[in-house]
Amino acid sequence: MNRKLVYMDAKSSKFWNIDLTGSSFTVTYGRTGSDGQSSTKSFPTDEVAKKEADKLVKEKLGKGYVDAEAAVSDGAGSAGETNVLIPLIAFSSINRREDIGENAGTFIGKRVVDYDMEKPVRADVVYRFRTDWENDELIPNLEHFLANDAALSTMALVIGAWHGDDSERTPEELIQSLTSKKDRLPNLAAIYVGDITSEENEISWIHQCDLSPLLAAFPKLQLLRSRGGMGLELKSPEHENLRALAIETGGLDVGVIRSICTSNFPNLEYLELWLGTDEYGANHNVADLQPILSGKLFPKLKYLGLRNSHLADEIAGVVVNSPMIGRIETLDFSLGMLTDEGARALLKLPASPTLKKLNLHFNYISADLIKQLKALPLTVDASKPSDMEEDDEWRFVAVGE
Amino acid sequence: MCGPVRVKGRLDLTELQQESLPPGLHCYELDATKSQIKNLPADLRIDGRLVLDNCQSLASLPEGLTAGSISLRDCPSLRALPEGLSTWFLDMTACSHFEMWPTRGTIHHGALILRNCIGIRSLPTWIGRLAQLNVAGCTQLGEIPDGIAVSSWVDVGGSGITGLPPSLQGAPLRWRGVRVDERIAFHPEELTAKEALAEKNAELRRVIIERMGYLRFAAEAGAKVIDEDQDRGGARQLLRIELREDEPLVGLSCHCPSTGRQYFLRVPPKMKTCHQAAAWMAGYDDPSLYRPQIET
Repeated sequence: MNRKLVYMDAKSSKFWNIDLTGSSFTVTYGRTGSDGQSSTKSFPTDEVAKKEADKLVKEKLGKGYVDAEAAVSDGAGSAGETNVLIPLIAFSSINRREDIGENAGTFIGKRVVDYDMEKPVRADVVYRFRTDWENDELIPNLEHFLANDAALSTMALVIGAWHGDDSERTPEELIQSLTSKKDRLPNLAAIYVGDITSEENEISWIHQCDLSPLLAAFPKLQLLRSRGGMGLELKSPEHENLRALAIETGGLDVGVIRSICTSNFPNLEYLELWLGTDEYGANHNVADLQPILSGKLFPKLKYLGLRNSHLADEIAGVVVNSPMIGRIETLDFSLGMLTDEGARALLKLPASPTLKKLNLHFNYISADLIKQLKALPLTVDASKPSDMEEDDEWRFVAVGE
Repeated sequence: MCGPVRVKGRLDLTELQQESLPPGLHCYELDATKSQIKNLPADLRIDGRLVLDNCQSLASLPEGLTAGSISLRDCPSLRALPEGLSTWFLDMTACSHFEMWPTRGTIHHGALILRNCIGIRSLPTWIGRLAQLNVAGCTQLGEIPDGIAVSSWVDVGGSGITGLPPSLQGAPLRWRGVRVDERIAFHPEELTAKEALAEKNAELRRVIIERMGYLRFAAEAGAKVIDEDQDRGGARQLLRIELREDEPLVGLSCHCPSTGRQYFLRVPPKMKTCHQAAAWMAGYDDPSLYRPQIET
């Protein structure tokens, strides 16, 4: 047996391979692009070795690894040379609650590096542009990069904190700057507007704006990711090629949900919404999500993430009844207030020919029900951060404030 | 007249003074909360959400009405739902005169909220699997037909329901929003003051006491008599029971002068005398001003 797995999220991009021959196996793992390190283990019999290897593979799948081959073929499609399809797993953002405090380490599987005018431009990384208290050079840096011909082949950009010393500043100016020079970014396939940690600016204090001009300006865009719900809008939610939309908020406005529900994204495969709580601006209810759950809106959807939600229990109750279950591969309720009530609903998930994975990381489910969930014929991640107490009556979503 | 109107997003007609809408309307969301609307055009098309909360004059809805979700909270003139209604979410909270279900329709996958629909006496058999079913306060509703299933919960608080059909066996229960078990919901005679007082969760304890009945609870819990006197109904007592991590339960036990029935009426814990408690219930903060000529 030989199995090659890969993992990607906002923190890292790595691989894990296992090669089983007879009564021993060799595991090789490391960062994507490196040779990694290997270790070999031997067992008394072939059966024991096989059993141990299967256990390890299951463990890795539970942690979010996927088969490398599947990840690549997801991304192959009818891609031409200048139109590379990003693998589905590379759309993943933060998987673990504890990673929220850090800036993106990787984006679409590539290492993120802050742009520096003084250094030569590299092709193997994704550049991040941001301000901090002392340095307000976001737009000058961006314009410096766009003047370089390396921009012409760049696939991805990360925009970090843009507010500088004015915490109410929106990214409008920078979006104008990007869209007015769209000819310098003809291959832009992925953009993250808001790689901002709580230390830089709390998620619910980030001032956003209408992000749909990016959709109109970049026809090859496959992934639009953003953080921050205040002022966020998608006034013209239309894009022929968009495959992934990820909106991270501490409280999502019903107007954004309405825009998504009236959108025209015929090729959307990945939809990740951080719904948040009413304390930080969430003014929607489960019924507002109905068009998304009806399954008609995004016929190609493979991943649905309704994360960081105070309504996770209620949403789970509706999702298990929805036709969506027969089409998607991954269902993600992580970072939210999922309790035994939502868990009981998920135990009623009907058999689905497509559904493979249930992500419930950070939850308020009791040990007994977690055990029952793990018996479902799916890969179930029901892990909890170590600081979550079992009998804590005080409940909150993972990312608020 | 104008031709067909297509609205891509939300059509905001809140507090509209007109009683009807023009034909040819097609929108994602129509919100006519607090409007004077009496009925909707037969050809109305809604892709997502229909909100008609607090429409005092709303009398009927068009046949075959279809929407992702429909909210009809507080529509007192609405007596019937139309034939062929189809939706995932229906909220009819406090539609006090609603009583007539269509013979066919589709309400499934989402939530059916019938809170305080005091006119309904039955649920239709064509309802399939829902996420949540709320019939709290449906005082005339005696049973839920077999075939209805839920993935989340059923709220039966204060309804006439005395048990669940086979299709709902084991479904999580709620009593006006509080998670309860089958005993609390359907076998209150088995509840004891001891278990009520031992319950840590204040909300759940409140429901257990309400289900037991205050009189039985007060007797079993060994309530302290703070004050006693006589009124036209006979002997009156002000009773007090200490509850942990909650304010004490203080209430007036009295008899109705007309029917002779005994009641336990909860009052604020600061009340010291029966007279003060009776005055508070009549709306007097100063008990010396409360001198009833006659009590019936």
